[in-house]
Amino acid sequence: MNLKDLLSPFFVWQRAFEKPYTSIRPTIDRPGAPAYRGFHINIADTCVGCGSCHEICQNHAIDMVAVEEYLGREGDSGLRPRFDYGRCCWCGLCVDICTAASLRMSNEYAWISEDPTVFHFTAGVDDKPWQDNENGYRRAEGYHLYPPKRIEMEMLPANESVSSFEEVVKGYSEEQAKKEADRCVECGICVATCPAHMDVPDYIHSIRDGNYEKGLQLMYRTNPFPATCGRICTRRCESVCPVGILGEPVAIRWLKRLIVDQVDASDYQRILADTITENGKKIAVIGAGPGGMSAAYYLRKKGYAVTVFEAQESAGGMLRYGVPSYRLPDNDLDKDIDYIVSLGVEIKYNTAIGKDIKFEQLLENYDAVFMSTGLSVPSSMRIHGEDHPRVLSGLQVLADVANGRDPGIGKKVAVIGGGNVAMDAARVSRRFDAEVTILYRRRISEMPADEEEIHESQEEGCRIVQQAIPVEIVSADSEQQVAIRWGEAEMVDDPKGGRPRPVLQEDRMHTDTYDSIISAIGQGSNLDYISKEMHEEFAIEWGKFTPGEYQHTTLEKVFVGGDFANSTADAISAIEDGHHAARGIDRYLNPAAYEEK
Amino acid sequence: MNDLMERLQRDFGVDDITVRKPALTTFRVKKDSAETLIRELRDREGYTHLNFMTCIDYIEDGIFTLVYMLHNYDKKLSLGVHVDISRENEDMVSIHTLWAQAWTYQRELREMYGINFPGSPRLEEDFCLEGWDDIPPMRREFDTKEFSEQRFGHREGRHSEEPRDHMKVELYPNRGGDEK
Repeated sequence: MNLKDLLSPFFVWQRAFEKPYTSIRPTIDRPGAPAYRGFHINIADTCVGCGSCHEICQNHAIDMVAVEEYLGREGDSGLRPRFDYGRCCWCGLCVDICTAASLRMSNEYAWISEDPTVFHFTAGVDDKPWQDNENGYRRAEGYHLYPPKRIEMEMLPANESVSSFEEVVKGYSEEQAKKEADRCVECGICVATCPAHMDVPDYIHSIRDGNYEKGLQLMYRTNPFPATCGRICTRRCESVCPVGILGEPVAIRWLKRLIVDQVDASDYQRILADTITENGKKIAVIGAGPGGMSAAYYLRKKGYAVTVFEAQESAGGMLRYGVPSYRLPDNDLDKDIDYIVSLGVEIKYNTAIGKDIKFEQLLENYDAVFMSTGLSVPSSMRIHGEDHPRVLSGLQVLADVANGRDPGIGKKVAVIGGGNVAMDAARVSRRFDAEVTILYRRRISEMPADEEEIHESQEEGCRIVQQAIPVEIVSADSEQQVAIRWGEAEMVDDPKGGRPRPVLQEDRMHTDTYDSIISAIGQGSNLDYISKEMHEEFAIEWGKFTPGEYQHTTLEKVFVGGDFANSTADAISAIEDGHHAARGIDRYLNPAAYEEK
Repeated sequence: MNDLMERLQRDFGVDDITVRKPALTTFRVKKDSAETLIRELRDREGYTHLNFMTCIDYIEDGIFTLVYMLHNYDKKLSLGVHVDISRENEDMVSIHTLWAQAWTYQRELREMYGINFPGSPRLEEDFCLEGWDDIPPMRREFDTKEFSEQRFGHREGRHSEEPRDHMKVELYPNRGGDEK
């Protein structure tokens, strides 16, 4: 050992007084590169809690935790991602998959603590200094891990559809459906929004697996009308689908249809394997629409003897008499109904309660009654001359066509209204070769009809006149015609913050002559079959019921559901009402089974 | 560039020629011709620099695609040479004789994908995964999530909810599918 080696440790000490090469944290800041993958930022208000970040994380670094202020927001799970920086590897997949583009990364990378348990936080909820950092990694514009556009649906071209009652929507092929199913992130947020709470991600998964039998079983858990709903459902599920935030929502309705279309009706018994153990109790169902038949199905499965009383000669209610066959072909509706009937549900057709059998008789002879007679009476336009013989109701026109009768509308028709009945009456009229004008008091964007229906009616050549208020029906020169006096409207903002109100402009009035005027501005219930005293007993207001829990009314034996007992008045809500009433009836008649053990 | 591509097509049967950006063209060549072609690009065409080597796992097609990125300093042009090799028989001629630094890339590719480059120096030594005892982690059959579950502990008190189940419990506990 020489002298230099011996002294060198002491020379090192002279360095202690020089400027250090390392930087001292946190006093000297050295920012990460602009696109650095640093600490996470989540815009918690934009996030919907779909959990895709949690699913994709290969390190199990993300938990979904409840954040109370977000629960109950439509299309929001109320959960937000919580990051464990003991496991994160900063790959950024969570940012790439984020359906709402609410998640990104900052370029901040220093978080210093002597306590190793603190590196764990709910981004966008827990206060962190980097939440407002403008830099860091974010997904490149236009980059998606799944295709943002849905697989296009083939439709009958308008020039062909307008001349027949053939189904307009052709349906996906298996291959197309598989591709569309691949766009689903399986978050299940739609399940909460679906009135029937269908197992959407699961049946979509069955398409990925090509296992349609499984798909059918899953659908019947919550909905015995899948062939129908696969065609005409109002599909509120799609309006909350997180994939729809940055692109188009998954075509849930068309995927449902694909499953049903792939399974032959003759295989239903084997696949669904509904075994019935009779329990000796009898239930009367009034109305064979979606609500009544859904109740019948779930009650029958619980072993009840179910008799459905139907005033018309076929089952289906509005689905048969209100929805034209180019949207819902009869044999698809029958596929649903026939299976329910095959379980031993008895339907007494052409049997009107109040006329052929008294309501009170049902109360006497059955253990419980489920009423679901819907909204069958066209609402009045409340204008002078409305009783003119050339003024028809939209519902009547649709029922005539469903029954194979000529609705006798003539060649020039005005349709009043902006709902689905109005659109259907207009499109049906086009199929009878009439020139159709739709008069609607508000703007097209405010029409309650399905956007698709509005679009297709226009494609098929219906002319829509918006902001047009009918004022009076007057006789025309010929008895085969009728005239309508209507005025243009201006939209006036509601000072109370409601939607703008159309106000008639009396200096801009028009009179037009038509072969017929089809009124379709809404419908009400027909409850003539229950006595006045009972009306009070039921606390019916404006022809509608307000049922309690499990669709129970104030009358012990009576449960209600469907359009006259909910605010949404669509098939899927009626189906859920029927299902829920079936649960309620079973609880009422078989309480021992539900006692807390 | 077109002349060169035509010649490579004629002499080496390259295909899938794609102009990715003005100064970057990629093409595909058969495994057996790859080393000769790369050597020729280096010695005769001025592609004297090897930018990097990498690999893509196309597990669905049963192949790895090796990418050799070459650069010509005079013309300021890059060429990406793609070579498909079978996932079953994953070895490839070493190019460390063309560029000495290639052995480092090849050592990394062996570690990450399990590709063998016979004759490449120090090939079997650990590159950055010291003590790795699983299948090469960049092969797509490697289950990253399962690996991290097995090897790394969880922080105490962690808890996660499924969006769908959480919403059912909170919003509609008595509804939804209860049959079967």
